[in-house]
Amino acid sequence: MDLSTILLWFGILACVYMACNIGANDVANAMGTSVGAKSLTFRQAVLVAAIAEFAGAVLVGGHVSDTVRKGMVDPNLFADMPMHLVYGMISALVAASIWLHIASSLGWPVSTTHSIVGAVVGFGFIAGGADAVHWGKVGSVVMSWIVSPVMGGLVAYGVFRFITVFILDRDDPVAQSKKLVPFMVFVVFVILAISMVYKGLKNLKLHLGFLDALTISLIVGAIAFVIAKILVQKVKAVTPSDLTQQFISTEHIFKFLQVITAFYVAFAHGANDVANAVGPLAAVVSILDTGNVDMKVQMPLWILTLGGTCIVIGLLIWGMRVMETVGKKITEITPSRGFSAEFAAATVVLVCSKLGLPISTTHTLVGSVIGVGMARGLASLNLSIIKKIVVSWFATVPFTAVLAMLFYKLFIIFLP
Amino acid sequence: MRSIFSMFARSPFKPLASHIDKVRACVDQIKPLFAAQLAGNYDEVQNISQKIIQLEYESDKIKNDIRDHMPQSIFLAVDKRDFMHLLSAQDDIADSTEDLAVILRIRQLANPPEIKEPLTQMVDHIVMSALSACDLIHELENLLEASFGGAEAEKVEKACHQLATYEWEADKKQFVFAQKLFSLGDSLSAADLLLWNEVSKKLGAVADKSEQIGKTLRIFLAK
Repeated sequence: MDLSTILLWFGILACVYMACNIGANDVANAMGTSVGAKSLTFRQAVLVAAIAEFAGAVLVGGHVSDTVRKGMVDPNLFADMPMHLVYGMISALVAASIWLHIASSLGWPVSTTHSIVGAVVGFGFIAGGADAVHWGKVGSVVMSWIVSPVMGGLVAYGVFRFITVFILDRDDPVAQSKKLVPFMVFVVFVILAISMVYKGLKNLKLHLGFLDALTISLIVGAIAFVIAKILVQKVKAVTPSDLTQQFISTEHIFKFLQVITAFYVAFAHGANDVANAVGPLAAVVSILDTGNVDMKVQMPLWILTLGGTCIVIGLLIWGMRVMETVGKKITEITPSRGFSAEFAAATVVLVCSKLGLPISTTHTLVGSVIGVGMARGLASLNLSIIKKIVVSWFATVPFTAVLAMLFYKLFIIFLP
Repeated sequence: MRSIFSMFARSPFKPLASHIDKVRACVDQIKPLFAAQLAGNYDEVQNISQKIIQLEYESDKIKNDIRDHMPQSIFLAVDKRDFMHLLSAQDDIADSTEDLAVILRIRQLANPPEIKEPLTQMVDHIVMSALSACDLIHELENLLEASFGGAEAEKVEKACHQLATYEWEADKKQFVFAQKLFSLGDSLSAADLLLWNEVSKKLGAVADKSEQIGKTLRIFLAK
């Protein structure tokens, strides 16, 4: 076996480890609210997550991967020594994997995304000096880490207030939700469909303009609307005076909606987080294939597929148990609250993915849940998680950056 | 595992409801306690007193558990201080009921026939206030689900109003009882007079704290 084959396999291995780690930890975080609200059994959640994560990774995953691959470190500086970029990207993958492994065993809520971004910037800095790093892009990425949980919180607050004012506060919440839920289904499906077909399908060699994409999405939304309308009609009317039954039935209707947002959140997660594993690998593969640093390389579909598959494998092997525990542990969230938080988180994550901003799905979801809490949607929340997350922001990037530098130096010493 | 689910803190509202159930069990003993007292059945008074003291002890355990498991960083759907006031009010109802039980055990208290009617009336009204306060705590679950608005909020608002009326009536009955008690004058021993007066005060405290629950719930609604 020659050197480049060994390097390729090494890169693939690190990528597989990262993707499995994402599947094991982050997917459980993303799906936990659905399982906790009893909208999905944990087996259904695993099934929904597997399909949606894979679809998100393959259909939308390319945007963020490009940022990780070439957005933050200028590949042109490596034109004369392409192998150094290979070493660097592999160093980044290994450094991020080690950090995630430590964090997972300690239970720290660190972000996969932050780990890989820190590692890529770290090696870029040591390999090409400060000029090699696109500080503007890195700055906008770091800003997005702070903005995304806040946005998630604001959107979730707004969605839950909407539900409170237009459904829960009304005299007949069941009748009201029968009226409004199909519209919400419509909105979710349109967003979901448009993010899939607009620019997404180019991975499948289908090019659709915005208008075509919008038309398709509206049709999909309309079909979903009709199906939702039929489904909610099956829920029996409740006399307005029976308040307890009113709330039980209303939450029952929201279960339909939460099944859809569970898919939505897993899809957004796959779209955003697959990049952390496959972004560096794509750079490695392209250099090893062509022998030089090429800016305009297409993200190969097989790499996205590999990433998506490994996320699903990680979920099936380790994530299932996590999700089962979570489902039993959190009982304080109901479908209407879960819907608000998931819808907000998934929308923010998906918008950021489309903009090529690698953000943390988990942290955004935390922001969204807090948003619902601020809208008086949850009986109690333990806010010490905020402190943990802020600490993890400051710990993750320096750690993975230094570790990636170290590995890169080792590569240079032993493999000239 | 890098889980974020530690943020879903254990809700203190369910233990609060278990606490009020113990408090209600105490309150449920008030009528039998006075029935036994007025019948001069002092053995039964002893028995029921024992039962109340045991129930109060159990309710205290739940209360301490709630207080101990309330971390600094917890965020509640209501103001944390208001929540603690609510818990204190519930605790005070159980405490005052226990005090009643203890007072009636101190000595075999005389039962002048004149106070029988006003005492029964007062006890009935006070138990009614306390029980409706207990019912209100069970509305909290629906209230949380409704996010403190809508028809459920109106329902609770009405019930709080009703509770205030009960307390007002109980106060009037307490006054009538005091009038009757002190009109007996010298026909009652000083010890009996003193203890009956204590009984009246403790019963008044039960009603006051019940009304306090209603007031705190109205603060929840107003925010």
